[in-house]
Amino acid sequence: MPEDRSLPRFAVLQLSGCAGCEVSLINASEWVDKYRLVYMPLVVSTATVPEDTEILLVSGGVRNDEDVYNLRKAAEIVDRVVAVGTCAISGGVANLGDRDEVRQMFMAQSSRHHLPHLLPKSHPIDTFVDVDLYLPGCPPTPELFMGALMGPENFEASSIVCQECGRQKLKDMRPKHLLGFQQGEVLPEICLINQGYLCVGSSTRGGCRAICTRPGHPCVGCRGPSDAYIEKESQVWFDRVQQVFERMTDIPPDEIHQALHSPQLSLFLFQFTDYTNSGRPARSKEKVL
Amino acid sequence: MTTLRFPLSRIEGHARVEMEVQDGAVIAAQFQALEMRGFRYFMQGTPAEQMPVIVPRICGVCSTAHHVASVKALEDIYDVEPPQLAKEIRELLLLGQLIQNQATSLFIFTMPDRVGAKSLFHMDESEADAEQQLSLAQRSLKVRQVGTNLITLAGGQFIHPIKAVIGGVTSGIEPEAAELMLKDVNDLLPMACALFDEYWEMSMAMRERIGTWGDDQPAYYIASTGRNRPALDSDTIRILGPNGVERASFPPRLFREYLNYEETEYSYAGQTSYQGEVMRANSLARINLTVSMGTPLADDYLDKLTRTFGKPAHPILLFDLCRGIELVYAFERAIEILSKDLKYEDTHRPYSPKDGEGFGLVEAPRGPLIHHYTVKDGLIEDVEFIIPTVHNMLAIERALKVAGERYVSPEGINLELEKAVGRVVRAFDPCIACATQ
Repeated sequence: MPEDRSLPRFAVLQLSGCAGCEVSLINASEWVDKYRLVYMPLVVSTATVPEDTEILLVSGGVRNDEDVYNLRKAAEIVDRVVAVGTCAISGGVANLGDRDEVRQMFMAQSSRHHLPHLLPKSHPIDTFVDVDLYLPGCPPTPELFMGALMGPENFEASSIVCQECGRQKLKDMRPKHLLGFQQGEVLPEICLINQGYLCVGSSTRGGCRAICTRPGHPCVGCRGPSDAYIEKESQVWFDRVQQVFERMTDIPPDEIHQALHSPQLSLFLFQFTDYTNSGRPARSKEKVL
Repeated sequence: MTTLRFPLSRIEGHARVEMEVQDGAVIAAQFQALEMRGFRYFMQGTPAEQMPVIVPRICGVCSTAHHVASVKALEDIYDVEPPQLAKEIRELLLLGQLIQNQATSLFIFTMPDRVGAKSLFHMDESEADAEQQLSLAQRSLKVRQVGTNLITLAGGQFIHPIKAVIGGVTSGIEPEAAELMLKDVNDLLPMACALFDEYWEMSMAMRERIGTWGDDQPAYYIASTGRNRPALDSDTIRILGPNGVERASFPPRLFREYLNYEETEYSYAGQTSYQGEVMRANSLARINLTVSMGTPLADDYLDKLTRTFGKPAHPILLFDLCRGIELVYAFERAIEILSKDLKYEDTHRPYSPKDGEGFGLVEAPRGPLIHHYTVKDGLIEDVEFIIPTVHNMLAIERALKVAGERYVSPEGINLELEKAVGRVVRAFDPCIACATQ
């Protein structure tokens, strides 16, 4: 079979990340006969993004100067840039290091002999290039990848994870304290909030099909806020989660407040709202799948 | 002096090889890891119980191993032992990872080298029969998908699993779901074997073409697998000498007494040795350290390997063949586990969080992985990730130098060298995201 030139051509640029997004893309085999993968060092031996590439998927955060160079060079060529996953959208897990004491430990590493130079922090890719579509998720599911390639108009999802989860919410089961993140017994088919878990699926955008909450793990919010909160500052989002817990439980607000600010959650919850000081325009919900 | 620089692809993460050449001789070969995110720094201060959900993000290829190692390190501190059901579901999760990883390494990373394609997704452009190549690609992805489905079933989330928790797992597996998965694994086992047979043939043909299986000296081997059959959820690390005699065996908390770790100026990844000696981790190490696979088809392949190459076997390209044996084993072992009742309610044991120091060991696809945590006031005070790829760094560089010497002479540099560099590195299947974190 000769190469089909009519297929849309896409490239995958991996910056500093875990390759989980790439693995998810490989798990989605539906694209194989609909698109032509022209660049993706993880699986293809090609040195550069070819000139006739249409779609560029970028995963990983901008952590070093080589990331900046590769990103700018590739984005110039293509028609459409898609920011894939938490790291490309917000800097991701590496951003947990964005505090003074950690930065110092880092910078001790930054003067290595002819290696890419580390930046002081991990940046989202739209610090450096314009992004046409954001695809949140850690990582986005294969189904979401297909949605991003084919265009958001072809993808249907509920507005929040709760609707996709379908665990039953009970009026008379009101926990007095949080169970912590992973302790205790998980009852099937009953809402995790009723069981005292810090689940934020009530305001996290849908589309993941509730793959974590279904088998019993609380939603950590990796898809970011739903459309209702995505263009607002993070406080509105927090208030909303707090309200849900006040309505459904007797857990002291302080306990929830503190837990929401712990690393596991803050890693994801800020991914669309940490932009207030950067001088860049807010990411509009129309650009988020 | 000339510096040859080789960019790398079809491996996990960002790395390159540099070779110093002078008067037709290779002076040095460096394997350079080019990225770092700094988990060992920014994990400090994290509530300990959140580690199992955060650390899979070290690597999306090896996430399952990090997830389970993290849970085990905390169980070590909290002094809790998971029930049998949890152990079985975790093993299933690790088997899913082994299938996904070995299929990726065999078919996506290294098979293109054997058929002269730039990727599995461009097999139709290669010289050989196009139809046949396309069928190879489609079957490879199907076999790999079994691993992905197992991870999803046993781990909840499909890349960064969530189902293993301190003291156990969040839930069992429903009989209907287990049955569907069992059918899938059973149906695709013959396809996995057939693909591995074809891969073996392609490897023989490549051996004929290049004239070597990777001619490096014998090495030490490190693995935490079982003596008589593979074990992934393991508790003891073992070292094999180059002559096939076991030299040491130790629990993860004593790793420093046996392994020496050094950082280098030219790479964000360090390198470990066994008391100064070059050692190898990954598939070949496990196969050299295991008497039997304990499942019929995998044992047939192991016999074939041993008859052909002896034991311990040392040639570099045998890493790839050993991955095929493990792929078949993981299918067979998954069938055994899925045939049991995995629904029952005994999912976890209660525990009380406390401070202390803990070690979690898992035999990841790339070798023994240790998570070492120190917890104070419920927060991570210090953390170390002892990474299998780092155990292989010295071995990779030595093998690269040997490959260099084969293709560099006073008359010039044979263009085959670039391909040889790729083949050597991919045989070790390094993971740069893990090695540098």
